[in-house]
Amino acid sequence: MNPVVWSALIAALVAVALATVVARFFWNRAQRNQVYESTMRLGFEISSERELVRFDDLLAIVERSVRDLRSDTLQSESAQFRLQSALNALPVAVMVFDGEGAVIESNAASQPFLEARHGDALVGAAVNDLIRVANSGSEASTAIDLFGPPKRTVLVTTVPLPEDGQPGAVAFVEDITERRQLEAIRTDLVANISHELKTPVGAIGLLAETLQGEENRDIVDRLAHRINAEAMRIAQIIEDLIELSRIESVDGAGSAIVELAEVASDAVERFRTAAVRAQVSVQLVVLSADTRIVGERRQLLSAVGNLIDNAIKYSDSGTVVDVTVEAVGNDIVVKVADHGIGIPTRDIDRIFERFYRVDQARSRQTGGTGLGLAIVRHAAVNHDADIDVESRLGEGSTFTLRFPSSNGVTDSAETEVPTLNKRT
Amino acid sequence: MPEQRKTFHQELDEIRDDIVRLGALVGEVIPRGTEVLLTNDMGGAQAVIEADDELDDLSLRIEEHCYHVLALQQPMASDLRSIVTGLWLTGELERSGDLMVNVAKGTRRIYGVSLDPKLRGLIERMSEEASRLMKLALDAYAERNASLGVAIDDIDDTLDTLHGDYIEAIFESHATHDIGLQASVQLALIGRYYERIGDHAVNIGQRVQYMVTGWLPEQTGAARLVARRSLAAEIGAENSVPEAESGQ
Repeated sequence: MNPVVWSALIAALVAVALATVVARFFWNRAQRNQVYESTMRLGFEISSERELVRFDDLLAIVERSVRDLRSDTLQSESAQFRLQSALNALPVAVMVFDGEGAVIESNAASQPFLEARHGDALVGAAVNDLIRVANSGSEASTAIDLFGPPKRTVLVTTVPLPEDGQPGAVAFVEDITERRQLEAIRTDLVANISHELKTPVGAIGLLAETLQGEENRDIVDRLAHRINAEAMRIAQIIEDLIELSRIESVDGAGSAIVELAEVASDAVERFRTAAVRAQVSVQLVVLSADTRIVGERRQLLSAVGNLIDNAIKYSDSGTVVDVTVEAVGNDIVVKVADHGIGIPTRDIDRIFERFYRVDQARSRQTGGTGLGLAIVRHAAVNHDADIDVESRLGEGSTFTLRFPSSNGVTDSAETEVPTLNKRT
Repeated sequence: MPEQRKTFHQELDEIRDDIVRLGALVGEVIPRGTEVLLTNDMGGAQAVIEADDELDDLSLRIEEHCYHVLALQQPMASDLRSIVTGLWLTGELERSGDLMVNVAKGTRRIYGVSLDPKLRGLIERMSEEASRLMKLALDAYAERNASLGVAIDDIDDTLDTLHGDYIEAIFESHATHDIGLQASVQLALIGRYYERIGDHAVNIGQRVQYMVTGWLPEQTGAARLVARRSLAAEIGAENSVPEAESGQ
């Protein structure tokens, strides 16, 4: 073949090869630019254009970024979950509203107010009203008394949220019934103590004054008799106060095994005369053979005795007071039921307070000290016992004391003793 | 068009929420009025009487809202029944609130009369029963539970029995000269107010049944009347047959 043809062919080939290389260079470069731009657009961080040589590099970067993104999301999800769980654990209802007054976030305690009915519907309405105030930029709060039942007081507070473009507000709903009750106990206690102590002291003073210069033998006798009665009353109050503070100061209840049936029968015996005088019959029924608990006999006698004493005092003559002792499951239950005047529902929560009186006017008539049920409650607390009252005005009251039985303790004592013996 | 249906349903929801709120106000005023009565609380009595204004205001607003929806949306079928039921319930609830105002006023009339524990206990129980019935009726409404709605009629029996016992107790108290004649009459009226609240709860229950099923208990009676009339017409026709024949 002609060398010219050969050289032409070679030249052509070289030209093609060169063109290919050049084209490829520019193509690659263009592609790299494109890849770079799209990576920048996606917001990934790359040190320089050089890092991106091939399309695969981009893939690697995207893959890495997606992986990071996913772990970020997981982390923020778990943080969100933790925050939500923390909110749910709050006893206070928390609701976050947007500027329009629609709920964005809420915790578990706020559910009753969102799907509101009955009393909660009123709380829900108050929340909506106050959120409107908060959305206009100022804090607001109001206390709502709900008559239930159960009677309760809730405090609704709304606070505007710091604005970052979107307006919004947060609402809290808090049950402040207990707080209110404690405040009432504190303020009433002083008034009640002074009433209980000052009344007999004042009476003694007045009676003594009348006695001065009194000649008539009968009147002197009567006045002296009444002074004596008032003095006895003060003595009784002091005795009860000492008993109460003794029971309060004891931590726990001792470790003796006490037969509750026997305690109850002693208590009934103690108030036999009072019952006869009031024409009330006290009946003791023991339904279980084993009524042993761990505790202190003196406290228990005081507790059961006070319950029986009250039952007799507030019974109508001719009625029956039933005292029942029985084992129910792992508990020993002592019930004292009367058919007397009963306790108004609104007072039931407060009767265990010191010196609390359902009816102040009656206190002198019945002659109690106003400390009996406080003693009962403290004795119960010392024995890990539950105390429960059911009462209906005009039908009577039932007080139930539920003690943990001694079964577990005696068993463990029996198993513990041999091991101790082995060791020694 | 779908946008408009949405607002319509929003309006129905609003009416329902407002009625639930009205019911809540009634549910609150029952125990509240009773406490006022049992504690001889004159300030509380005044507060109960004044609180009724809020109830009146809300019930008027609900009523107007219902008229508005009726006029502008012309609802059909169950939507129509919801609105009509809303109107009925508003009336029943508003009236129940007024009855507690009557209790508060009665409290003022018997000021200074001490009630024996048995009467107090019965008043407490009637009040609890009345507010329980009201709550059940409202539950039936909010849950559209027709069977609960109907059941309230039977649940109301307890309140009727209590009312009977209460009247007995008033007689006893009066006989033993614990309370005078005037106080006895006032107390009897007060008992009657509680009993009426129970009746309103029964009415609400029946209206809920109507809302869900379109059926009212009165329809049984109406159906009987129609049957009786058509029977009478048939007998009348039979009697008039010979005449017609003789005429031919």
